[in-house]
Amino acid sequence: MKTRIYLLPLWLRLWHWSNAVLIVILTVTGASLHFSDTHLTMVSFARAAQIHDIAGMTIVALYVFFLTANAVTGNWWQYIPKPPGIMARSLRVMRYYAFGIMRGERDPHEPTPDSNFNDMQASAYFAIMYLVMPVVMITGLIFLFPLTAPDRLFGLDGLFPVAVVHYMAGAAVVLFAILHVYLGTLGHTATSQYKTMITGWHEGDLPSGRTSSRRAR
Amino acid sequence: MQKRRRWLAIAFGLIVASMLSASAADAQSTAALDPAKLAEIRDQNAKCFACHSPEGLKSPPRQDMDLDKLKTMLHDPALYETSSHGRVECRTCHGVGATTFPHGANLKAQVSPCSECHAAKVFRIETQFDASVHAKTQKDKFTCWSCHDGHVYNIAAKIGAPHKIIAQDNAMCLDCHNSDLQFSKFAPVDKRRPLIGRIHEWLPNTQLHWAAVRCVECHTPAGRGFSHEILDKSKAEKNCVSCHSRDSSLRTRLYRHLLAEEEETLGFVNSVILPHAYIIGATRNPWIDGAVGAVAALLIVGMLVHTVLRLGAALWRRRGRRPA
Ligand code: HEC
Ligand code: HEC
Ligand code: HEC
Ligand code: HEC
Ligand code: HEC
Ligand code: HEC
Ligand code: HEC
Ligand code: HEM
Repeated sequence: MKTRIYLLPLWLRLWHWSNAVLIVILTVTGASLHFSDTHLTMVSFARAAQIHDIAGMTIVALYVFFLTANAVTGNWWQYIPKPPGIMARSLRVMRYYAFGIMRGERDPHEPTPDSNFNDMQASAYFAIMYLVMPVVMITGLIFLFPLTAPDRLFGLDGLFPVAVVHYMAGAAVVLFAILHVYLGTLGHTATSQYKTMITGWHEGDLPSGRTSSRRAR
Repeated sequence: MQKRRRWLAIAFGLIVASMLSASAADAQSTAALDPAKLAEIRDQNAKCFACHSPEGLKSPPRQDMDLDKLKTMLHDPALYETSSHGRVECRTCHGVGATTFPHGANLKAQVSPCSECHAAKVFRIETQFDASVHAKTQKDKFTCWSCHDGHVYNIAAKIGAPHKIIAQDNAMCLDCHNSDLQFSKFAPVDKRRPLIGRIHEWLPNTQLHWAAVRCVECHTPAGRGFSHEILDKSKAEKNCVSCHSRDSSLRTRLYRHLLAEEEETLGFVNSVILPHAYIIGATRNPWIDGAVGAVAALLIVGMLVHTVLRLGAALWRRRGRRPA
């Protein structure tokens, strides 16, 4: 039978959508800066630099909020893939995305308040939010105050490694975000996960009374 | 064994000999003058430096001098030596009146104008200079010397290192444009000096730009080589992309002397700039950009295929043809 559970607290949803908007802004302006003389430029260079700086600082502030809220509410635990059996469960998720979903099978992982992500999501979100994003933000902050970069490094300008790492890590975030948008359509229906991220309510298909799907399988 | 040693010795001898001849050729090219002539020039100039240098002021060769006045007229022998005029005798420009002390009365008026020795250059440059904002507004006061201190100035091609060229050439402009006193000596009476930082507020990372580009990059017309026409402020370069792009104008400006050394470091375009600055939009790597584009394309194609399969499978299931 259908269950309806309150999965995502308001703060998380607000953070998520603000973060999403900022990533889009940073991507558009970042591309305008990097490909300044091509058709990928959507915003003039001067305006792009201005907007990118402001959006960058905002997303750093938002990230601090994200960390704090995660620590206070204990939500950080969701991002930790839990052994044993991570590989096996991840493979099952991948198999489901590749074949199972075509055959109309049930998602092997049913979200619950204490286990929102499947193991693949947990690992991917962990890598992006706790490894890649900090790299983007730290290099971005150095970029924001370029005089703090080392004068020279390995015979090249000190800003060079900062810029290259910022660009590549930023690209990784953008590529992940594209995939993330698509994976968001792989819920029970194409839009169900989007609705959950807006309302906070998840329409599940667990047997009533059950709150955790992990041990059952 | 013996034979191999002999070969090694010969090879070693050849290497040493080639290094010696190379360094000899080097010394010759930097000293276009013969050593005797060079020594004579140094001797002559040392006579002036006996008074007109920090050392000279510390231990003046005579007591009957106006030391307070001399204090404002000191020159650094080392800087002079490395300048474009390092091999020119002081008296060639200042006249023989300077060689005796007390100096002649109107020594100042006797200095040779640039054109006396650089007729062709001055002829070319003067038309540009005459069109510049400075010459138009202060023709009587503004001269070549207002920017070029011929005792220290060195041409860009000889300096080589961009940050040193920038430091020299920007100091030229900032000497006036950062000093109320100096500015007022040239400006019309009622003209207040606009603050350089304030004027260029629209340029982000202003301090970084001052260390990475020259004023003349934006204040002279684009083209091959350097023009002495300092443009009216309304014509100054405000377009970021003139520098922040693949075809950066800096290639024909600040970096034009280094272009010959350009090699594609790590596959970057404009890599001649990389050892000195990272310029967004200009120093970029087509390989990295291509890789990012390729991954994005793969991702999108993958998602499209998956979507089509999903839709197809859903239709198939709905039609009930799928065997249970
Ligand atoms: C014995 C010390 C002494 C020597 C040697 C000397 N000067 Fe001077 N020079 C002075 C002093 C002192 C002044 C300050 C003004 C004055 O008292 O005439 C001066 C002033 C000058 C001035 C500025 C004149 C003006 O009216 O503004 C010039 C130019 C000059 N010297 C060039 C030279 C050159 C070139 C030489 C070498 C050929 C030289 N001097 C050698 C002491 C010396
Ligand atoms: C290329 C020509 C040139 C040469 C070479 C040259 N000077 Fe001068 N010098 C000038 C000019 C022009 C002025 C006048 C600057 C001004 O009007 O402010 C001047 C001014 C001076 C002054 C007085 C003002 C000041 O700033 O100190 C002194 C002293 C002086 N020179 C010393 C020397 C000495 C010493 C040497 C040699 C080591 C030398 N000059 C070589 C062109 C030359
Ligand atoms: C007494 C003659 C003389 C006077 C006057 C003179 N110069 Fe020179 N200048 C020279 C000599 C000699 C050289 C070195 C030879 C060379 O490289 O062309 C030189 C070199 C230069 C160079 C380097 C050019 C190059 O291509 O290497 C510049 C720039 C220069 N002078 C500017 C000036 C300016 C500006 C003035 C006037 C303020 C001036 N000179 C006055 C004799 C003079
Ligand atoms: C507003 C400041 C300014 C004035 C005034 C000025 N110059 Fe220059 N000059 C420069 C700068 C900056 C450079 C370096 C440009 C470069 O090498 O890219 C330069 C370079 C030069 C060079 C070497 C490069 C070349 O084009 O051959 C010569 C020679 C020269 N100037 C001569 C003169 C003469 C002669 C005058 C007077 C008619 C003069 N300058 C007036 C700023 C000035
Ligand atoms: C000897 C002093 C002096 C030097 C050196 C000097 N300037 Fe100026 N500059 C002035 C003065 C004075 C004015 C104001 C002229 C006026 O308003 O009549 C001025 C005006 C200007 C203007 C404004 C023109 C306008 O449209 O109002 C620009 C741009 C400029 N300078 C650029 C430069 C650059 C670039 C350099 C160095 C290559 C330089 N200046 C070197 C004294 C100097
Ligand atoms: C990135 C290009 C750029 C660089 C580098 C640059 N300027 Fe400018 N500058 C401009 C532009 C554009 C204006 C016109 C600004 C305006 O009208 O708002 C200007 C205006 C000026 C003015 C006119 C001020 C007034 O209102 O009268 C002066 C003087 C000036 N610059 C001097 C300098 C000096 C000195 C340097 C070097 C330290 C320099 N500039 C470097 C682009 C540049
Ligand atoms: C005259 C050429 C020139 C112009 C015009 C110019 N810049 Fe730059 N800019 C540079 C150079 C060179 C650097 C490199 C500084 C370094 O790495 O040392 C730089 C650095 C920067 C940086 C720091 C990041 C980096 O690439 O190192 C920003 C941001 C920037 N510029 C923005 C702008 C904006 C916005 C404009 C237009 C309003 C502009 N620039 C116009 C030459 C220019
Ligand atoms: C997903 C996030 C982000 C993406 C995709 C991104 C992308 C980019 C790109 C492509 C550039 C041009 C670099 C080059 O050409 O080498 C750039 C520059 C820059 N980035 Fe980011 N960035 C992101 C996040 C941030 C953050 C969080 C900050 C700040 C804290 C930041 C600060 C900067 C700064 C200061 C510059 C230099 C240009 C300027 O001053 O605007 N970026 N970014």
